[in-house]
Amino acid sequence: MTVAPAIQIRDVVKAYPSSAGAFVAVDRLSLDIADGELVAIVGRSGSGKTTLLNLLAGIDRPTSGTVRAAGADLGSLSESGLAAWRGRNVGLVFQFFQLLPTLTILENAMLPMDFAGKIPAGKRRDRAQRLLERVGIGDQADKLPAMLSGGQQQRAAIARALANDPPLVLADEPTGNLDSATAADVLALFAELNAEGRTIVVVTHEAEVRSVADRQVTLQDGRIIANARTRVPA
Amino acid sequence: MTGLLAVKLRRDLRAAWSRLVLMAIAIAVSLMVLGGVLCAWAVVGRETGRAYVGTEPASATILLDRAIDGERMAAIAAEARTRPGVLAATGRTQFIGDIEVNGHPREIPLQVFVAAPDDPMRMAKLDVQHGRWPPSPREIFIGRDSLDLLDVAVGDAVTVKIPSGEPARLRVAGVVYDPSLAPAPQHQMGHAYLSTAPLTASGSRAVLDQLKIQVAEPGRATPSRDRRAVVAVAADVGTWLQREHGLAIREIQVPEPYAHPHQGQADALLLALLAGGAAALLLSAILVANMLHGLFTQQIPQIGIMKAIGARSGHIARLYLAMTLLVAAAATLVALPPALLIGRGLADMVFGFLGIEPASLAVPWWTYGTILAAGLVLPVSMALAPLVKASRTTVRAAIDHHGVGSNPSAATGVLARLGRIRGLDRGLVMALRNTVRRPTRFMLSVGLLASAGTVFVAGMSLGAGVKAVAEDAKARRNWDVDVQLAGPASVEEIATLVARVPHVRLVEGWTIAKVGVAGPGRIPLTRTYPDQGHGGVSLTAVPAATTTFAPPKLLQGRWLHAGETGAVVLNQITRDKTVPDVQAGDTVQLFVAGKPTTWLVVGIVEERQGGGGGAYATAEGFADALGQPRRANQLRIATEGHDEQTRKGVADAVAAILTGAGIAVQSAASVSRNESIAEGHLGPIIVVVLAIALAMGAIGSIGLASTMGANILERTREIGVMHAIGALPRTVRRIVVAEGVFLALASCVAAIIPALALTAVMGAGLGNLFMSAPLPFRVSLPAVGIWIALAVVGGALATEAAATRASRLTVREALAYL
Repeated sequence: MTVAPAIQIRDVVKAYPSSAGAFVAVDRLSLDIADGELVAIVGRSGSGKTTLLNLLAGIDRPTSGTVRAAGADLGSLSESGLAAWRGRNVGLVFQFFQLLPTLTILENAMLPMDFAGKIPAGKRRDRAQRLLERVGIGDQADKLPAMLSGGQQQRAAIARALANDPPLVLADEPTGNLDSATAADVLALFAELNAEGRTIVVVTHEAEVRSVADRQVTLQDGRIIANARTRVPA
Repeated sequence: MTGLLAVKLRRDLRAAWSRLVLMAIAIAVSLMVLGGVLCAWAVVGRETGRAYVGTEPASATILLDRAIDGERMAAIAAEARTRPGVLAATGRTQFIGDIEVNGHPREIPLQVFVAAPDDPMRMAKLDVQHGRWPPSPREIFIGRDSLDLLDVAVGDAVTVKIPSGEPARLRVAGVVYDPSLAPAPQHQMGHAYLSTAPLTASGSRAVLDQLKIQVAEPGRATPSRDRRAVVAVAADVGTWLQREHGLAIREIQVPEPYAHPHQGQADALLLALLAGGAAALLLSAILVANMLHGLFTQQIPQIGIMKAIGARSGHIARLYLAMTLLVAAAATLVALPPALLIGRGLADMVFGFLGIEPASLAVPWWTYGTILAAGLVLPVSMALAPLVKASRTTVRAAIDHHGVGSNPSAATGVLARLGRIRGLDRGLVMALRNTVRRPTRFMLSVGLLASAGTVFVAGMSLGAGVKAVAEDAKARRNWDVDVQLAGPASVEEIATLVARVPHVRLVEGWTIAKVGVAGPGRIPLTRTYPDQGHGGVSLTAVPAATTTFAPPKLLQGRWLHAGETGAVVLNQITRDKTVPDVQAGDTVQLFVAGKPTTWLVVGIVEERQGGGGGAYATAEGFADALGQPRRANQLRIATEGHDEQTRKGVADAVAAILTGAGIAVQSAASVSRNESIAEGHLGPIIVVVLAIALAMGAIGSIGLASTMGANILERTREIGVMHAIGALPRTVRRIVVAEGVFLALASCVAAIIPALALTAVMGAGLGNLFMSAPLPFRVSLPAVGIWIALAVVGGALATEAAATRASRLTVREALAYL
């Protein structure tokens, strides 16, 4: 029996109009990512890494080609449908953490549960607290994001990404704004999450990610130039 | 909305409280104006109707040429009640005479309304507040609003000159509230009420010359509100009186049914105010929409994050809808109590204008509903577009959002050329460019302030126009004393007598007679009210070689030739109200002292209400029409000095010398009394227009403050860079304040054409409404100066908070801002 991949990208092109003509960020790219894989997408600036991640998250729509992720053909979903799909299936982690500044860390972690309605209302606070403890900032739960360090904020963002227990976690340069020690902690966290069976895609510049990734996909000018397994999946 | 979004909402409100408070103030200020006017309108409409209808006003007054005795009038009235369409009928009369209080003559004339002692007072009723109708033969009742004007009180002894010319000595025994009349102070005429007894005391029995009738609604026992139906029935009764009773009819008076003499003006005033209030609310709603747009734009990154973690457009829309609703609800709640107070104050003012004593100032429930709806629905509906746009922001759009555009607007590009001018202050050039950096925001701020400036300058200019009318009338009135005789007298005899009075420089004998105007073969029909002032027509016989009169502006035809007979000139008010189809070259009938005379209309002139008599003939033409030698019933006297003391001394001396010679004098007074009447009508309107302008100015200042706040917020990084490269806090402050001042000055420039247009439109509208002719176009230069000063100072002050914030920004804060 063939297991359907968690992510299936077929002949995807993403072009942006510009004054000098269309700029092709992703060029006829196809990629499968299996369920439970931790894949690092690497490449230089402008290679199309973030565009690819945005396509996977439904933030951008391909100019042509299809993207299937977490059981949905993203091209068939409306903006509202994409938001609902993201809420239930995807955990997003950004380079600049992107926590809502007027909500506490705990509230930030609870917010996706409110949106998705997947977790019963009475259990959300406890779940958010547990997630924060899991990422090591349980004692900071009632603080506003501005009161935390960069590493703590990124941990909070990861807790928020796990709020609805998504099968897929997408992270865009999650360690790009952190010192090396904190970055290592964050990568370890991703490895831990992957070990639980979650599919994780990390876009990064950092070479250290190889240590935790099952596979490394290298992009250049919007195309895959290398797709190498770095370790055998557990 | 989820619980956490409610938490976010609460904290966002706290974070943006200063801007939200400004929004709430903008809505509240305009809602106060709108709500206040709405409350006043509702209360005035209800109470005026109640008070005026409560007097059971006559549908028509049929004016007989000669008075008849009470018994005959009673019989005719009883018979008239059986005529088709007549609901009620009664006989009355009225006259105007001088009054002395406790032996001291008053300059204000007295208008006396007379009814038979046995008049059941079912029609044209009086509300006797002190005393009981009828007064005894030695008593008189005084109108409540005439007490102060005449400086008279209950119990005082007064002497009133009755139509026979004899003085009647009476005691003030009662006070009457008569809401059917315009207020006495406005017309500088006291009101009093008598039974016929004092008039018949000298043996004359024929005292009643008015048959008042109430016309029924077809098939019903209630008075008709259809003027055409009233006119038809009144004309039928008039013809019946002529044919069956041999009575000559001088005029049939049919005012607008159930409308107070000043009802039209009051309605128009309140409607204009309502429109002003609605405009202010609309402006504030636009301002709020713009401010919310700024707020939502600032929140785009957060919207993007929420969308990225699963929020749908509905979640976001509900969040910001709740924010908008909270601001609108807070503003509405804040505005409601002052709106009620403003409404009461305004209603009081209008009641004073109408002479109405309201039974209740309670505001009807629907006005609360309307204010709440306006306060909640309008801002929300204006905010819907930015709200929907914000809620539909995609994660991609949020990622691409970089705050203020780095691409300069076309206007900024044009202003960039200013930098080439040597010696121009760099900071000011930068401020000027920043002013137009966001063209839409710039136009909104300028538009808001310009609207306020437009209304302010137009309001003050309206005042200048009214003043010009008064000054024009004063300039034309180049005599000092008006003398009204009880009846016509020989011009030569009067002139000889008056010439003996010291300080008299010139005397002219005029005849001004109440006339009826009608087309050939018809009974004259007017819209005259019971006070015989509103809607009445007078024929002025212009003496040859007069030096106290200049012909009014001609609209059609020509002015009278010297000594011309059979020719009349009508003013546009008389023409429009009596014979609207008549043009220069047509003939009309003038009923002079009940006698129909035929005249050729040689011209139509333009006059303002109260500024002229209505119809003009030469003195020779008037004498010829009556078949009598030239006589006069009014004197215009020029004195050597023009001070009030001289005028009063001459007036008293002339009255004394004429009375001594057996010529009955009805009144003799300084001309300054007429100036008070002209100023009584438009003063309150100008005050209210200026109040609206100030409210709009407040909204404009808030708009400016908000614009500057948003501008500074968006340029936080840029300001940080300025600090980083060495700009001193005071330099930054100066640039920001200069931006506000430039905006204010731009609003003044933008207001020029609208202010001129609004002055012309309001001058024409209000002039036609209150004076039956447009006000002269005047632009108040002091108003222009005051507004520029207010706008510049207001602009600088409104920018102060933003300037302080900008000057205190640290480089670190600024560069950390996203």
